[in-house]
Amino acid sequence: MIAVTVTVNGTRHDVEVEPQVTLLELLRERLFLRGAKEGCGVGECGACLVLLDGEPVSSCLVLAADADGRAVETVEGLARDGALDPVQAAFVDHGAIQCGYCTPAMVLAAEALLRRSPDPGPAETAEALAGVLCRCGSYPKVLAAVAAAAATKAVR
Amino acid sequence: MNRLRPFVFHQPTTLDEAVRILAAERGAARPLAGGTDLVVDMKLGRARPPVVVNLKRIRGLDRIEPVDGGTRIGALVRIAAIQASAIVRERYPALWRASCTLATPPIRNLATIGGNLGRGSPAGDMAPPLIVHGALVEVEGPGGRRTVPIQDLHLGPGITCLAPGEVITAVVLPAPPPHGGSAFRKLGKRGGGWDIALVGAAAGLVLGGDGAIADARIALASVAPTPFRARAAEAALRGRPPSEEHFARAAGIAAEEARPISDVRASAAYRRSLARVLVLRTLRDAAGLALDAAVPR
Amino acid sequence: MTSVGRRVPRVDAVEKVTGSAVYGADLALPGMLHGAVLRSPHAHARIVAVDIARAERVPGVRAVATGRDVPFTFGASIRDQPFLAVDRVRFVGEPVVAVAADTELQAQAAVELVDVAYEGLPAVLDARSALAPDAPLVHPDLHAYPRGNHEIVEHSNVDTVARFRHGDLAAGFARADVVFEDEFSAQALSHAALETHVAVAAYHPASRGYTLWTSSDRPFQLRGELAAALGLASSQVRVVVGYVGGSFGGKNTLVAEAVAVALARQAPGRPVRVELSREEDLTASQARMPALVRLQTGVLRDGTLTARRAEFLWDGGAYASNAVGVAVRGPKAVFGPYRIPAVEYESRMVYTNRQPTGSYRGYGTTQAAWACESQMDMIARRLGIDPLEIRRRNGYEDGDAWINGQVMHGLNAREPLERVAAAIGWGTVDRAPAPHLRRGKGLATMIKETATPTSSNVVLKVEQDGRLVVLCAAPEIGAGQATVLSQMAADAVGVPLDAVSLPPADTATSPYNGPVASSRTTFHVGNAIRTAGAEIRRKALALAGDLLEVDPADLDLSEGVVVARGVGPRATLGELLARRGAEGCSLVAEARYSSAGSPLLAADPGLGSVSTIFWMISAQAAEIEVDTETGVIRVVRVAAAADVGRPVNPVGCEQQIEGGVVMGLSNALFEDLVLDGGRIANGTLADYKVATLQDVPEIVPIIVESDHPEAPFGAKGIGEPAAAATAPAIANALCDAVGVRITDLPLTPARVLAAIEAERAREVAAGGSTNRS
Ligand SMILES: Cc1cc2nc3c(=O)[nH]c(=O)nc-3n(C[C@H](O)[C@H](O)[C@H](O)COP(=O)(O)OP(=O)(O)OC[C@H]3O[C@@H](n4cnc5c(N)ncnc54)[C@H](O)[C@@H]3O)c2cc1C
Ligand code: FES
Ligand code: FES
Repeated sequence: MIAVTVTVNGTRHDVEVEPQVTLLELLRERLFLRGAKEGCGVGECGACLVLLDGEPVSSCLVLAADADGRAVETVEGLARDGALDPVQAAFVDHGAIQCGYCTPAMVLAAEALLRRSPDPGPAETAEALAGVLCRCGSYPKVLAAVAAAAATKAVR
Repeated sequence: MNRLRPFVFHQPTTLDEAVRILAAERGAARPLAGGTDLVVDMKLGRARPPVVVNLKRIRGLDRIEPVDGGTRIGALVRIAAIQASAIVRERYPALWRASCTLATPPIRNLATIGGNLGRGSPAGDMAPPLIVHGALVEVEGPGGRRTVPIQDLHLGPGITCLAPGEVITAVVLPAPPPHGGSAFRKLGKRGGGWDIALVGAAAGLVLGGDGAIADARIALASVAPTPFRARAAEAALRGRPPSEEHFARAAGIAAEEARPISDVRASAAYRRSLARVLVLRTLRDAAGLALDAAVPR
Repeated sequence: MTSVGRRVPRVDAVEKVTGSAVYGADLALPGMLHGAVLRSPHAHARIVAVDIARAERVPGVRAVATGRDVPFTFGASIRDQPFLAVDRVRFVGEPVVAVAADTELQAQAAVELVDVAYEGLPAVLDARSALAPDAPLVHPDLHAYPRGNHEIVEHSNVDTVARFRHGDLAAGFARADVVFEDEFSAQALSHAALETHVAVAAYHPASRGYTLWTSSDRPFQLRGELAAALGLASSQVRVVVGYVGGSFGGKNTLVAEAVAVALARQAPGRPVRVELSREEDLTASQARMPALVRLQTGVLRDGTLTARRAEFLWDGGAYASNAVGVAVRGPKAVFGPYRIPAVEYESRMVYTNRQPTGSYRGYGTTQAAWACESQMDMIARRLGIDPLEIRRRNGYEDGDAWINGQVMHGLNAREPLERVAAAIGWGTVDRAPAPHLRRGKGLATMIKETATPTSSNVVLKVEQDGRLVVLCAAPEIGAGQATVLSQMAADAVGVPLDAVSLPPADTATSPYNGPVASSRTTFHVGNAIRTAGAEIRRKALALAGDLLEVDPADLDLSEGVVVARGVGPRATLGELLARRGAEGCSLVAEARYSSAGSPLLAADPGLGSVSTIFWMISAQAAEIEVDTETGVIRVVRVAAAADVGRPVNPVGCEQQIEGGVVMGLSNALFEDLVLDGGRIANGTLADYKVATLQDVPEIVPIIVESDHPEAPFGAKGIGEPAAAATAPAIANALCDAVGVRITDLPLTPARVLAAIEAERAREVAAGGSTNRS
């Protein structure tokens, strides 16, 4: 067992994990944060994307042990007091959600992008979000939502 | 979904300790960097190392720093950091380009350059540009430190010249030559440049004072059991003017000397066609940069 | 304000964007065990011995099930499939032994300790060899299986034969100036929904019944299939479906469900969860059915179609699954939205030793439209007619007779094609930015009927707080069902949209519904909602009349408020029900809609069973750029139009159209489940590539409207037609760009380059002539 201290959405968790437990398994099965999904488990689909120290990573490939001392953000941490964050709100308003299985990952990837690059063009957005597959094909509306979120954030 | 099977996990904080554990376990232990190859292989049952040695607690391996006019890139430097590096972008365009098209951000934020080389894949994106840039690989092992020219690192698919216990600690890139240019392109299954390479190509050109090609380097991914240096094509360019005619001829030679195989991703014949096209295009790109560099401002 | 027709945000959007929506894969129940499956490494083999002793001893293992423990078979049309293989395996990946343990890791580790001895049998690996007289039989007992009333060929691999004929074929071909004969193939595809197949099953010893929590598009049909297989009364099985992470026609048979049920029987009282890994999902759940299509088409010089005959040979895989319906109904789309006086098809599906196949967004129309629309362009080119013009010349008009003589009303046959042609700038040529790049444009159109007759039932209930609950077994699979049904319910009753809720589909509490398939939900469930909504309204106004002592005729219900004519708002629905006080009250209404017996279905004698309650017509135009040196196709722009009747939610329609193009593009360019010696050679997402955000072109979604006499709020359907026209539109654009015709999917760079090089060689051989036909 490995002692891991990880901050998830601002809350510190002290857990003991076996070496083979992934960050995704820790989040979903031990911390009951089921927003991050497992679409492949091997890095290809991006459904498990979370922010690790602010950077998007495929959490199915990260050992929980490697999250020790680090900060994790999941989709559950975005809304504050029930108010959606601008990216979430834009996804809702622009119809960027169908089955929704990719949505938490898309939203987080967009969030990370906008923190780094407040006014991305469509090519930059496409490149930043390409790691997340959406089989429903919400891509055009995702692009529109990210552009709208950028505009909202700029106004704030 | 696939679960990782249990393994003994070591998290050494020094290189010596890592080397000691790896050496003691002989072939049973595998070093872990970003895990984007190793964890995948373990989940799919392609690898079942009983012992895993995490390298990421070792300090100092994740820096890009200047050395002797050149640049040293630590083994744990992530692909995303290479992409973000102004030094790499300005001085090593082929490597920078490759870092931009290796997988996607959530992978690039994990994957390391050391892992890409350690994997020993002939399809890996890092080796061809590093060959073009003339990189040396620093290796630390039970027998001490040694340096391996990048083109000698790979022995076959998934096989490197690293002995048990040896780990890659850095790659060292010499100063880029003046009046030089380099480029990288690849083509993946989806036609775009971000999948595993069906073929990847890096080229570097150095122009002499007479405007002719003083030195040429061409390296390819996914056309041979190891990253492939197209030496005959390089030789055909030396001393020639950087013209379309010579580029086309060299590209043809490179495609001929490549030794691609057929697999589920592409046929050997298609890989050969791609090798020709990509070499031609990278030569043009490289020449463009070299000419820019040669023109006095 | 009414809700139907407005661009309202989806009702499930907030749950989904905050990560709180609960999908099948998210379910965790007390005492739940986790399953894992040992799968066959052989395409065809006899099981000689199974030894589970080592697996049983693994700590945490609670149950091990083999085929002999579950002596039942299932199948939507032919009961040919065991829960776990008995005696014989028929495809690589077939479940053989299952293990349930406290953790998924334990179960997966235990599975590796099961020893199975096989004796290899000769395998049938493609549809043509399945037809050979000496072909090994995948199912020697086919004739003895319980099955529906479709035609089969006993003692062969042919498990479905379907024929259709209308008009005088001989005369049609005799009248033709040219007869075209071409062959097309469509590949095996994975639905690749982002959520893999997943189910939790529990066995209840007292009632001998089961509860199944699963991600499926058809709770009632699944329940029926499972009950029939296990010899239970249907109400002994309860199926509950929450949010589904995509289906596309893939989540409709017993996949994870079969294994979960097999294990639950062995572990009474403990729910068992089975989730397929992505690799299992790609290689062992049902695929889109590969098809070989031969088309013979008679044409006059001016492009008028006189007759068409089609032969379909479907590679159905190792079990019939739900593919029979595809083989029977799918070929109808091969006649396109065109007036053809004489038509015929013969459709045969065969067993092979590959993964089972089945329905895929479009139910056979993706394969049929590929053949039809490719050939339409080939005809146009040969006759020197503009591809748009030939489609116009033959296109249906409102009031035309369909292939069975049924009069076509309620469709806008012409507008989709015209609109996409305009949107793409048909007839103008865009110059490519570099000499090795060529641009081209292509069109394709298609028609799809809907499963008929089917029925939907709903129960509407007004809660004590005035909220409206829609009880209906129509799971939200991602296509926006929950939103459009809520919108229609809100308007039918007169409450605001946010006062409507749709609980998860549950066969124990929801009334019967057909599947969420065939683009039928909006139309059928909507019709039931419209009727039940009127009933609730009537009851609410009667109650209000009673309590307020007003004539109900002077009352109106709007936005959840009862308004007295000339007086103004009197009470909300919630206030009204509260007035019943301790006595309590809820308002309930139920309604059923069935398409059976509609006068719209009248057809020529003997062909009534082919009739459909509505048609969907769609068209797409693609502009592509081809790299003539690498064969890479880049899709620049796609305009896609669909006749939806009236859009209940335009955003939802756009999502379906755009999503259909993305999927169609991905199917056309990248996807192919490649079989190599019986094994799928590219069974990971690393090698089975689907489109990402970087592959997506500009998409112009166009909603076309029409008036259908029976459509609720005017709405027909949209889910399926959106995907089928993309592949032929791209292939036609390819031909426009570089003059090569590819008749096999997918349009891989290697294939495109080979075709370009062959064409160049032909041109050189022909002495530099650049004639292309
Ligand atoms: C979705 C996806 C897409 C990908 N796309 C690409 C792509 O486009 N191009 C490409 O080249 N690769 C691609 N890869 C492969 C992978 O991401 C890269 O090879 C990556 O650079 C590996 O680095 P890592 O740090 O994750 O290695 P790890 O997985 O940690 O290690 C890889 C191997 O190298 C060994 N190793 C690690 N570090 C060292 C060291 N310092 N010394 C010696 N041995 C070491 C490990 O034992 C292991 O055998 C992709 C992977 C995924 C999952
Ligand atoms: S689940 Fe992690 S990338 Fe697919
Ligand atoms: S919305 Fe279904 S996968 Fe993206």
